[in-house]
Amino acid sequence: MTSAVDPTFNIASSVAAKPDAVQAPTKVKVEGLNFYYGQNHALKNINFEIPEKRVTAMIGPSGCGKSTLLRVFNRMYDLYPGQRAEGQVLFDGVNIVGKELDPTIVRTRIGMVFQKPTPFPMSIYDNIAFGVRLHENLSKSKMDERVESCLRKAAIWDEAKDRLHTSALGLSGGQQQRLCIARTIAVQPEVILLDEPTSALDPISTSKIEDLIDELKQDFTIVIVTHNMQQAARCADITAFFYLGELVEVAPSDVIFTNPRQIKTRDYITGRFG
Amino acid sequence: MSATMTGLSGDGVQAVSIGAAKPVGRLADRVFVGLLWGCGIFVLVLLGLIIAMLFHGGLPAFRAFGLDFLWTATWNPVTENFGALVMIYGTIFSAIIAVVVALPLSFGIAFFLTEIAPPVLRRPIGVAVQLLAAVPSIIYGMWGFFIISPLMAAYVQPPLIEWLGPIPVIGDLFQGPALGGGMLTAGLIMAVMILPFITAMFVETLESIPPMLKESAYGVGATTFEVYKNISVPFGRTAMVGAIMLGLGRALGETMAVTFVIGNATRLSASLFAPGATIASTIANEFPEAAQGTLKLDSLLALGFILFVISFIVLALSRYLVRSNLKS
Amino acid sequence: MSLAVRRAKDYTVKVVSTAFAVVALFLLAWILFTLVQKGLPALNLNVFTRMTLPPGHEGGLLNAIVGSLIQIGLAMLIGTPIGLLAGTFLAENGKTSKLGHIARFVNDILLSAPSILVGLFVYAFLVNPFGGFSGWAGSVALAILVIPVIVRTTEDMLNLVPIGLREAAYALGAPQWKVVMMVTWRAARAGIMTGILLSIARAAGETAPLLFTSLGNNSWSTDLSRPMASLPIAIYQYAGSPFDDWVALAWAGALLITVSVLLLNIISRLVLAKTG
Repeated sequence: MTSAVDPTFNIASSVAAKPDAVQAPTKVKVEGLNFYYGQNHALKNINFEIPEKRVTAMIGPSGCGKSTLLRVFNRMYDLYPGQRAEGQVLFDGVNIVGKELDPTIVRTRIGMVFQKPTPFPMSIYDNIAFGVRLHENLSKSKMDERVESCLRKAAIWDEAKDRLHTSALGLSGGQQQRLCIARTIAVQPEVILLDEPTSALDPISTSKIEDLIDELKQDFTIVIVTHNMQQAARCADITAFFYLGELVEVAPSDVIFTNPRQIKTRDYITGRFG
Repeated sequence: MSATMTGLSGDGVQAVSIGAAKPVGRLADRVFVGLLWGCGIFVLVLLGLIIAMLFHGGLPAFRAFGLDFLWTATWNPVTENFGALVMIYGTIFSAIIAVVVALPLSFGIAFFLTEIAPPVLRRPIGVAVQLLAAVPSIIYGMWGFFIISPLMAAYVQPPLIEWLGPIPVIGDLFQGPALGGGMLTAGLIMAVMILPFITAMFVETLESIPPMLKESAYGVGATTFEVYKNISVPFGRTAMVGAIMLGLGRALGETMAVTFVIGNATRLSASLFAPGATIASTIANEFPEAAQGTLKLDSLLALGFILFVISFIVLALSRYLVRSNLKS
Repeated sequence: MSLAVRRAKDYTVKVVSTAFAVVALFLLAWILFTLVQKGLPALNLNVFTRMTLPPGHEGGLLNAIVGSLIQIGLAMLIGTPIGLLAGTFLAENGKTSKLGHIARFVNDILLSAPSILVGLFVYAFLVNPFGGFSGWAGSVALAILVIPVIVRTTEDMLNLVPIGLREAAYALGAPQWKVVMMVTWRAARAGIMTGILLSIARAAGETAPLLFTSLGNNSWSTDLSRPMASLPIAIYQYAGSPFDDWVALAWAGALLITVSVLLLNIISRLVLAKTG
């Protein structure tokens, strides 16, 4: 199956060397996962490991199941009757798929940032504090500290510090998205899921978010779904390619973008379909 | 990171706790979701109760008169002989007059609001038309009684009686003294009241038509009216019929405006100008004189039940038509 | 058909349609003009400071105004939470369930059902079995009229809130009640307020459902267990009377009620336009 990649393929040049990618311990382990939207079999027997404190990218054409898998990780599908998952997703060894575990607990440990910025209709400060107040009882000064540190980590403190108590809806799209990242890390999750976080943003905001992802992986395990292969190549240590509900290939990003084992993967990353 | 983060490991799923507030939050969630369901069910129960109470209240009358109640034209409190025919006739007839009058106006105004009016004026004029629906019905009653009825008596009814009265068959509609009130006046006033409802739903339907459909018709050289008549209206046909049914449903149950002008006579008459009665006006008018436990009160409740059934059928049909058009 | 004929037809229909719109505006103006012309001369301080009195005694509408305010206030207290929660149920939990579909249908029926039947129902359900006409019964009747309006607008407005906003709140580990109360309701608050204001306007103008419930009362009473005066009922009684001073008072009341209702309507539209 191994075949030489088209030498003119230029993504390879942007792939950073990430030698330690596979040496990290496993944070999330997917075992025999199947997912259904009613009758529609959307994910087919997925087996897959996500390393701790690394960035894992999931790529593939629209409808391939990558976003579906992301939404299984934090039980978002629970909100919709008719959607169901079978199999196991082990988070630190505990199966988080299944009725017995309260989804709100799963979501506290596995946060999510969405495709479009989703600022709540409240002040910037309250956007951050909303999630924190759900789980912790902090004093005013502790809360102030938490808000500041999260906004700093999400690289939006300088832009937000003078308007903390004004509506978050007044921020630009890129700022809103960084606010949403700040809001997610304020709950102190261990995993952050990013669902095409830059697809609604301009190039400058996109590069800020990508820099941020690089920073965040020191503290968090990151899983990102993206349509943008350069983004996956730039940010991710591991990349998984999905096609028609199946996991075709998963490998360190430098490998998958320079020397994929599967023809389908190669065809996709060289732009022959998708 | 924080101490509670260790909870989700091994087989200690039950031991997971993120702050002590968690179980409380879950209880609150159960209470809240229970309240949501409870209030949803309450709406159902409410309608059921209304139907049941009206039927239960009217039951003695249905027992006393049987199905004859529906087609008996007598309403005689002295002999305690009651029938609903006059009111059913008046209810349906006046409501149909209202719809027949309101319909062309609504078509025209909807055309004006969607195609002719300059964009700046659309909203204010649309809102002004909607305000007609906000005016309380008792105000329409007073306006009808003090302003419209005298005008009808002086300028509308006499010539109609004179010109159309002698014609056979049609002439039956234009008989009797020009009192100002009656079926036609009630219908006209209700037409003004239901006009905004019909117009608003027309406009909503017309605005939901894909612009490409209209543009392709303009592309072959159709005029604005031709696009309206041949593309827009046929496209929204089902919903527009639904809108008309809604207007009819509203007119069937209208009380105060009608009570002021219809004359409240429980006699059957073909004339548009003779005093008549609707179910709603009879209930409003006769209720104060109906003592508890009398057959009259039971008959009024039975009338209420009949009105509910008629309205229910019309409104359900309207909703079905409107929703089925939106789906397609 | 020749182009000239088609153009002429188009032009004619446009003129007629414009004329129809003018007719509608004229009717609104006519009604308002009548109210101002007949109501304004009778609208003096007595209207707000005196009770309803027998003809010839220079009475006012104080007890009717206060009675209306009490009954509307109570109706809103009963109806707002039920309507808000039922509307939320339809938007959040009743999307796919059978109960949701039926409840939505039933609410649409209640929304347009004849209001006089609501009065008749409350008479048969509360007045007759529980000792007679009362302010309570009037308030309940108005509440039943208010609920479907609030249910409908709440559902419509919540449906406009992007799903992503809800998911984002759930993704932080929030339980449903917090998601709804702190995020979804908040995002839709202008629209929900509009619905509540519109429902107040509806309750304020209703006459028929009060006829058999709170009945009306010509003396001062704030006792909810007894018959209670209301503005629409006072107008109904006075407008149909043969006494000139009563009829004049009816016009004053009519002006008062219409101006309030129309203002509520306009304000609610402005609230929505400003934030939506």
